[in-house]
Amino acid sequence: MADIAASTPAPSRPLAAFGRRIVKDKLALLAALILLIIVGAALLAPWIAPFDPYETTRRPFIPPRWSEGSLPQYWLGTDGQGRDMLSRLLYGTRLTLVMGLASIVLGGGIGALVALLGVYYRRLDPFIMRAADILLSFPAILLGLALAAVVGPGLTAIVIALSIATIPDVARITRSAAIVIMGQDYMEAGRAMGLPDRILIWRYLALNCLSPVFVFMTLRFGQIILIGAALSFLGLGVRPPEAELGMMASLGRDALFFAPHISLLPSLVIIAIVLCVNLLGDALRDLLDPRMRNQ
Amino acid sequence: MLNHVAQRLAMSVPVLLGVLLFGFLLLQLVPADPAAIVAGPTASPELVAQIRQDLGLDRPVFVQFGIYLGRVLQGDLGVSLISNTSVIAELGEAIGPTAELMFACLVWAVPLGIALGTLAAVYRGRLLDRIVIAISVAGVSTPVFFIGLILMQYIGYHWGLLPFIGRGGPLWSLDGLAAIALPALTLGLIFIGPIARMTRTAALEVLSADHVRTARAKGLSERAVVLRHVLRNALIPVVTLIGLQAGYLLGGAVVTETIYSWPGVGRLAVGAILASDFPLAQGAILVLALAFLVINLIVDMLYAVLDPRVEKHG
Repeated sequence: MADIAASTPAPSRPLAAFGRRIVKDKLALLAALILLIIVGAALLAPWIAPFDPYETTRRPFIPPRWSEGSLPQYWLGTDGQGRDMLSRLLYGTRLTLVMGLASIVLGGGIGALVALLGVYYRRLDPFIMRAADILLSFPAILLGLALAAVVGPGLTAIVIALSIATIPDVARITRSAAIVIMGQDYMEAGRAMGLPDRILIWRYLALNCLSPVFVFMTLRFGQIILIGAALSFLGLGVRPPEAELGMMASLGRDALFFAPHISLLPSLVIIAIVLCVNLLGDALRDLLDPRMRNQ
Repeated sequence: MLNHVAQRLAMSVPVLLGVLLFGFLLLQLVPADPAAIVAGPTASPELVAQIRQDLGLDRPVFVQFGIYLGRVLQGDLGVSLISNTSVIAELGEAIGPTAELMFACLVWAVPLGIALGTLAAVYRGRLLDRIVIAISVAGVSTPVFFIGLILMQYIGYHWGLLPFIGRGGPLWSLDGLAAIALPALTLGLIFIGPIARMTRTAALEVLSADHVRTARAKGLSERAVVLRHVLRNALIPVVTLIGLQAGYLLGGAVVTETIYSWPGVGRLAVGAILASDFPLAQGAILVLALAFLVINLIVDMLYAVLDPRVEKHG
């Protein structure tokens, strides 16, 4: 058994290397910090939110602390129904992140799994790739509209649409990475030793495809958040009174001209999340694909 | 060239069938009886039964799909539940404005994006390059509705420079141009980032190619090198990108139309979905899917024009 362990390809340690690089790259470090604060605040929402995010009051359209007419207890003001903006932003960020994460994990997981099976069992490959081609001809926004029409507007419709839209792209990236790995000597060696398919696929193939797929999914995560927020903005996502950032931005549209903070604050949180994710993704890609670094 | 076009058209037939199947399933999956939908809420049970028979809803699903195909090919997409007018007529009115909006966006965003990307590549590492990179990173990280709301609030409302509700008339009239300015600006701003970024990457690659060194060596001015030898080659991946981003453009158009009450297909689709107007929603989604197909076809043809090698390889 010791021999087998020795011949198992050593998985690279992208996380440790990534950490070292990030400390050197000031911008990526800043992005990581901001993202950490946002995610932390969203996770802790039930404990740190100063008010109940759903409780309406008779004090609507209160501006944030830095503008005239603000009230000291509402740091970021209130929305059109007198609900505390800060508390709603915390809860809204939570749902937005859940929506994005669920979609990327579900869609990315299925896409990667299917592609790995296709590469390993060659006979499946043409069918899988043809199916991916067909899925590619339906952009995410159309899937979102269609699913909202079928199952009715809601978080479920959006997560399913975003997951389906993620499958073909992740499948393609995984496939091109896996094909390279399949040609490596250690795959041949593993097979010659008579290892079961299960181990060959998971320990040999999947683990070694991990980094390019992970980079791609990081960059994709930002896009997914944007599309999901857009669908929510259109009214096809989370139903009121629950808060989600895109839907909050949409709620504030009627008050845009006299209480712009109701729309603009949630939009700014979305920008912060997506910008940080994109900057981190770029840094990650530079790290794992040095060829791209100079561009 | 013709050969390539014919091949591409043939290839889009299965996708077209897929899109139609999609529209058909949409009507099958909705949690309501299509016959009742067509008949309307006030119809008697006998009428519903009659319509069910007329529509062939008592036949096997694949026969129904055939009937559906026949109807769609004859331009019959059913009747809107809300307005009671034919879906195809409502769509006919909305397609023009959507095409206008996309045209008005691409006509300024694509040239500007390509120019910015090329300049960034030529002045690589300098301030201009950094600014272009910053703009494109910010551009791909900003939701289209944020740009729309900001432009609407300042340019439209506070400064009163441009109208921001609805369409003002045909594009060649002054009112029409003024009304489309803000929507086209909004949609274009999210599109410049990816185009500039891709152009920069492609131009950098071409700038270090052998034929560019030859062009410089024979004494061509830097401007001639960039315009004639770099740009044309760099455009190929950029055109591909525009095709890949067609979905992004479509999504942006849906949101932009909703924000500015632009009477296009996207706004129609969202309104129909929110009102549970299934026939109209199905028709609008079909049209959007078709638009996506057509954009990709056009991009493919441009590709053949820009890169003569495409034709030889088929």
